[in-house]
Amino acid sequence: MAVRASRGDAGAFGQLVREHSGLVYRVALRILGPQDAQDASQEAWIRAWRNIESFRGDSAFSTWLYRITVNTCLSARRKESRRKEREYSGEELPFLPEPTGGDADPEAAALSAQQREELLAALEHVRAEHRAALVLRHMEGLSYAEIASILDVPDGTAKGWVSRGRAAMLVALTEQRNDREAGGTAR
Amino acid sequence: MMPANDRRWEILEKVGAYAAGELEGEEAREVERLMFERPDYRRLAESYTRMLVMLDTLGNEPVEAPEDAVGYAVRRAYVSAFMRNAETFVGALGRSYLDAFVYYLGLRRESYGGGT
Repeated sequence: MAVRASRGDAGAFGQLVREHSGLVYRVALRILGPQDAQDASQEAWIRAWRNIESFRGDSAFSTWLYRITVNTCLSARRKESRRKEREYSGEELPFLPEPTGGDADPEAAALSAQQREELLAALEHVRAEHRAALVLRHMEGLSYAEIASILDVPDGTAKGWVSRGRAAMLVALTEQRNDREAGGTAR
Repeated sequence: MMPANDRRWEILEKVGAYAAGELEGEEAREVERLMFERPDYRRLAESYTRMLVMLDTLGNEPVEAPEDAVGYAVRRAYVSAFMRNAETFVGALGRSYLDAFVYYLGLRRESYGGGT
């Protein structure tokens, strides 16, 4: 299908869009948030169609599509003023309290609306490249080799970005919860 | 010597890698030793585990692209393919007319199939 699309077959491309639209939208949603996800996913598909002739089948179509989607999201982020990453003062280690209900808590099976909101808000405080790497690793379940290929960086850099993103995310999540408990004023 | 804050950040990342199951051998044992000695590191590892479970859960939630976005992308591809074909067709047609016109005016000496 991808090969047919790369020869300019719009019907085949349409089929690819229908098959992979979930992937593109999901990644855009997690990197950019709900407000910008739709525009970014449309832009990613436009870029995909424009560049489909360069798809040679050296890698899986999904890897190629991830690359276009992530690049589109990162360039959308670059257009905006840089969001401040949560800073770690280092005085106290971040800590997420155990959810009420102990091991039987349904957190492992389903997230409440509030938890989802908290996660997405905390992701916003992670630097865009680190966030993209974190999303690809811990939400899309990709290997470091795949992440490195998508982000076009060496494996070690991909690993470092995931690691930084993970730490920054935990700091943001903890501070968010602390802010909320303290009355949710300053952020 | 490494500043205290950098050292703490390094621990933060190392414990995160451990919680994600990415450390092996001596590195993993070092973190286990730290966690054994320091309850706050143990709590940190537990916090990471909770966060990673939540991220994984969120990652597994089904997400469907809005139909608008899908339809728009498909329409754009069809329109673009149509324009590309139309451009090729019009270009070829134009060249044929030009050839015919040049032939009509007798500006081209060679004739079709007959040599010079």
